[in-house]
Formats: sequence, structure tokens, C-alpha cells
Amino acid sequence: MSALQPSNPVLVVASLQTEFRIARGKVQAVRDVSFTLEQGERLGIVGESGCGKSAMALSIMGLIEPPGFIVAGSVKLVGQELVGLPDRRLRKIRGREISLIYQDASAALDPVRSIGAHLLEAIRNHDATIGRAAARRRAVELLRDVEVPNAERRLNDYPHQYSGGMRQRVVIACALAHEPTVVIADEPTTALDVTTQAQVLTLLGRLVEERRTAVVLITHNLGIVAEFCDTVRVMYAGRFVEQASTETLFTTPRHPYTSALLGSVPRVKQLLTGPLPAIGGSPPDLASVGPGCAFAPRCLRSRGREICQTTAPAAPLRTDGHIVECHFADEDDAILADETQ
Amino acid sequence: MRFFISRLVGGVASIFGASVLGFIFLRLLPANPTRLLLGPLASPAAVRALRLQMGLNRSVPVQYWDYISQFFRGSWGYSYIYGRTVRELIASRLPASLELELCAFAIALFFTLLLALLTTYRPHRFLSGLTRGLALFGQSTPVFWLALVSLVVFVSWLKILPGPNGQLSAGITPPPVTTGMVLIDSLLAGDLTAFWNACEHLVLPAVVLSLPSFGFLVRLLRANLLDVAHEPFLLVARGRGLSRWKTYSRHALPNAALPTLTASGLLLAQMLAGSVFVETIFNWPGVGALVVNSVSNEDYSVVQAFVLLSACAYVVLNVLIDLLSGVLDPRVRRRAA
Repeated sequence: MSALQPSNPVLVVASLQTEFRIARGKVQAVRDVSFTLEQGERLGIVGESGCGKSAMALSIMGLIEPPGFIVAGSVKLVGQELVGLPDRRLRKIRGREISLIYQDASAALDPVRSIGAHLLEAIRNHDATIGRAAARRRAVELLRDVEVPNAERRLNDYPHQYSGGMRQRVVIACALAHEPTVVIADEPTTALDVTTQAQVLTLLGRLVEERRTAVVLITHNLGIVAEFCDTVRVMYAGRFVEQASTETLFTTPRHPYTSALLGSVPRVKQLLTGPLPAIGGSPPDLASVGPGCAFAPRCLRSRGREICQTTAPAAPLRTDGHIVECHFADEDDAILADETQ
Repeated sequence: MRFFISRLVGGVASIFGASVLGFIFLRLLPANPTRLLLGPLASPAAVRALRLQMGLNRSVPVQYWDYISQFFRGSWGYSYIYGRTVRELIASRLPASLELELCAFAIALFFTLLLALLTTYRPHRFLSGLTRGLALFGQSTPVFWLALVSLVVFVSWLKILPGPNGQLSAGITPPPVTTGMVLIDSLLAGDLTAFWNACEHLVLPAVVLSLPSFGFLVRLLRANLLDVAHEPFLLVARGRGLSRWKTYSRHALPNAALPTLTASGLLLAQMLAGSVFVETIFNWPGVGALVVNSVSNEDYSVVQAFVLLSACAYVVLNVLIDLLSGVLDPRVRRRAA
């Protein structure tokens, strides 16, 4: 499936801009982000911490609260515009048409409520007519679906009695209770150890496959993207700097930031020989973004090039299916990268 | 169940500790009880006879055992000032105190909840400022000063409330005693005039008594609510499609209320002590006023019973609160077990 020829988009985000108005100014967390999501598509959004991934997720869900504001843009879920919709209408959509899987399951569950209470709340909030017994049966069913052993008995347990992986399964069960069209998974596995990560991802993959649910998977873990996603957007300083299918992106990254990200994945061989590879410098302050390319200060290609400092790069659709926000997208970073190592 | 038992055992141990302390402090008092009773002119023989009769010649542990076993059998001694047994005396005074304290506690809790909710559900600059100011005022102003100033303002200047003459004005016939609490008795008797008069008498002391607790509780609850507001599980609950109010009432409030619940139990117990001033100033016929009177008249059996009783009340309240917070927070159960 290719995101580049939209046929039946379930989620269309266009020119979304979100900012946080704080004392020292406006922090532009999401700067003109657009993408479409097909039914059943798995989109990965990759970027460093603080690049605006979570702000984007919350903007799509309509959960941005002051001092955060959606300044411009549109979010269309199965044809319905969500931006500007009053909360009482959004409530009917959240958790039913579009759900959120939060990064840290131990923080995503209310410590004083049982697992069953969470599931029942998720079920009954959008289905007022369902009886207690039926809702309970459904909760057990959901818990079985996410492969929690002894589902019936464990319904009465509290979050602290569950392991991290099991908690994340509960969060997934809550999110999928009404078989939403789109699930936004914000770093769903960061809080888990590696083996549990793989289990939870496999489970999530199976569940969304069965339900034809589209997934926006937000992560900084490139391995997860490679494993799970059909297409990838690389986010930097609140913008998508590169968009491509997973395969294309991993084989021929065009944006220097993407190359650097891929280069900074630790490999055993490198670990044995030298320091961990890292991208020099730090992401720009989103409260004062200059006119040029946001990545320019850290970019090896931009050295000595005026245009990178003065003009934001446009992002034409390239023949190889890439969209790259870089003035010099065709250059190869391999040589430059080698020089610095 | 294990949680329940461990709390209960802890409670009994605390009462034991309090009784030992109270007992020791009374032994340390310089006053000689026999001299107090018989007066300075009594013959040494009479003093010796009374010492024997009171058991003061026996060893201290035996005396303690006598005292504690008598106490739990309900014989708390005899008040030489009032000429009645201490138990009768306290029983006759307790309802008035309870009425005042429970009302004060209810007022403190009600305004704590109201203002904490109003100022944290949506940011409201004026109300927040007002609440913080009130809390600071309530917490930092001595109760006796508040009581006097409130009398000056509402009784002398504004003349909208009756003076500090107990539970009812002089012209009002007291309702027949059933519970001993005038508010309830007058309602039971259907006597609305007495009820209204009782309310007018109650409002000032109750509000004054409630202010310090209110100040403490509202600050605690507000801080906890503001704290919990950043918890991701609230965001996730909103993501499930819950309304702001449901998220707030079902998830934020129960989490934030736990420390407030614990503190409110302690404060209710502390009101017993605070009410000593308020009862004295408002001529409230409660236990607090009785104790003040007994202290100044060296009527120690009353004081001794009051000390142990308030310790019991304190411990019982704490155990109840512990159990309740165990019901509300599953993590408390696990930590205790």
C-alpha cells in the first residue's frame, strides 16, 4: 500500500500547526504537518524527544489544552473535520473512532482503580445501553484478546499488581474496545524491556490487522519502525523532513537528518571499537525558529552554504517516492559521515 | 483482612501508650491528691487513711492497672467540684461538643471541596487568590482571637447574631432531650423556633472552629489536585472519550483526596483540643469548657478522663481513616499487609 496515491484515506491531516503560548513566547511544536492515512495503514513517525511528536498526536485527538493551541490546519477523520469541533462532539469520537495508546502504561492507568474498572469505563462510555453483566463479559473478552492470562480473575486486580507488559496490554485493550478506525500509539513500547517490546508489538500488529485499524506509531526507535510500519515520516523541529515507504527510507535515506538518525543506531561492532555515534548539537529552540532549514546548524551538508541559513527548503514529490525537505537531497552523506568519524 | 487486623492492633497499642503517658504525667504533677481533697487543715491520720483508700500506697504498676481497668469498666472517678461522677458529667456535656465539632468539621470539609474544585477544575485567578488568602488567614490566626473578633463584629457591631450565651437564647424553651444535640432535638420535637435559634447560636463558634482546619485542608487538596492534574492517566481517560468532568470526578479527585482524607481525620481529632477555647469563649456547654473549668479548679479526675478519652477518640478516628483509605487505595492495603 502506498500513501502517495490516496484511495480511501481514513485520516487526513493538512497543514496542522500547534503552538504553546508560554511566558517566554510561542513554542511552535507542530509546524505545518500534513499526511494521509489509509485504512489499515501503519505509519511510523520518528524523531528525537521534543520534536513535536506527542504534541502532534494530542492535536489530532483534540486533546491539546491551554497553553497549547491548534493555530491552523485541519484533521479529517473519515471525512469529518475534528479541528474546531466542540468537546462534547469530540468525546463521542475519542475512544470510539480514534484511540490513544500512551507511552507509559504504568502512568496511563489510574492507580486506585481496578483493571476491570478501566475496561468497563472504556466500554460503557460509548455504549450506555450495555448492561453490567454484558459489559463485564466484554471486558473479559478484551483482556483475553490482548493475551492476559486468567483474564476473568485478573479483572479485579489493580494496575500495581500487573507487570509492565501486561499493563500495556490493558491500555491496548482499552484503546481497541470499540474497534476504532485509527489508533495513535505514542511510543507504545518505550517503557518496556526488549523482549516484552517485541511481544507487545506483535500483539498490536495482529489486533490491528484483524480489525483493519490504521495505526500512527510514534517512536524514536527505528528498529520498531522497520519492523512494524508501511510508511515513515521523519519529524524534526515540528516538521516532517522526509517521507517515504519504510523500505525506501531505510535503504536510501535522502535527508541528512534521517541519515544521521540511521547512523546513530548503536551497532555491536561500533560499540566495541569506539564511542556511541550521535548527532552533534541539539534540536533548535522551537520558540525561536529562524527562516532557514531547522536542521542546518547540525547539518554536515549545509556547511558554508548560504541557502540553508536563509531559505526553508521546499519538499517536492520525487520520482523515487520520497518527499524530502532538503536543498541538497541528492547528495550522499556517506562521505561526509565518514569524515567525522 | 490482614490489613484490618494490623490496623486494629496498632490502634490498641496506641491507646495503651497514651494511657501510660497520661498516667505518668499525672504522677509527675506536684499536687498531692489527698491534700487537694481534704484541704490543708486535715489531720495526717485522715490523709493516710485516704491514701490507703485511694490505693496510692501500692506500687505504680498496680496503680496503673487499677486505673486502666476502672476506666474501661466505666468508672472514671468523681468530680468534687460538680458533685457528680465524671462519666455522668462528660456524658451530659459531650453532645453539645459533638454538635459543635461535627458542624465545624462539615463546614470545613464542604468549603474545602467547593473551593478546591472551583479553583482547580478551571483556572480562576480571583477565586484562587481568595482561597489562598482565606486558607492562610484560617491557618495562621489563633482561634481564640478569631472567636473574640467574630463576636465583636457580628454581635456588637452588626447585631445580626445572638451573643455568646450557649446553645439557645434565654427566652427559648429547650426541646426535650433525646440526643442531647439541640439542633437535632429541636427538629425531632418539631420546634422550628428553637431550631432556628440554635442555628444562630451555632454558626459563629462552628465557623470559627472550622477555619484552621479549612485552611489546612483546602491547601492540601488544592496542591494534590494540581499535582494529579499532570498525571498521564487523566489524559488517557480523556482519550477514551470521557468528559472533562468525569475525568476529574472519577480519576483526579479520588487520587488527590487520599491525603486530604487522612489529614481530615487528624483534624477532626484536633478539633477536640481547639474547641476548648471556642467553647469557653462562647459559653458553649461542652466538654472543652468543662475541662478548662476543671483544670483551674484542680478537679483532676475530670482532666484525667478527658485526656484518655481524647486519646481514644484520636486513635479510633485514625484507625477508621486508615481503614477507609485502605478501601479507597489498593496500594495502601498492600503496603500494610
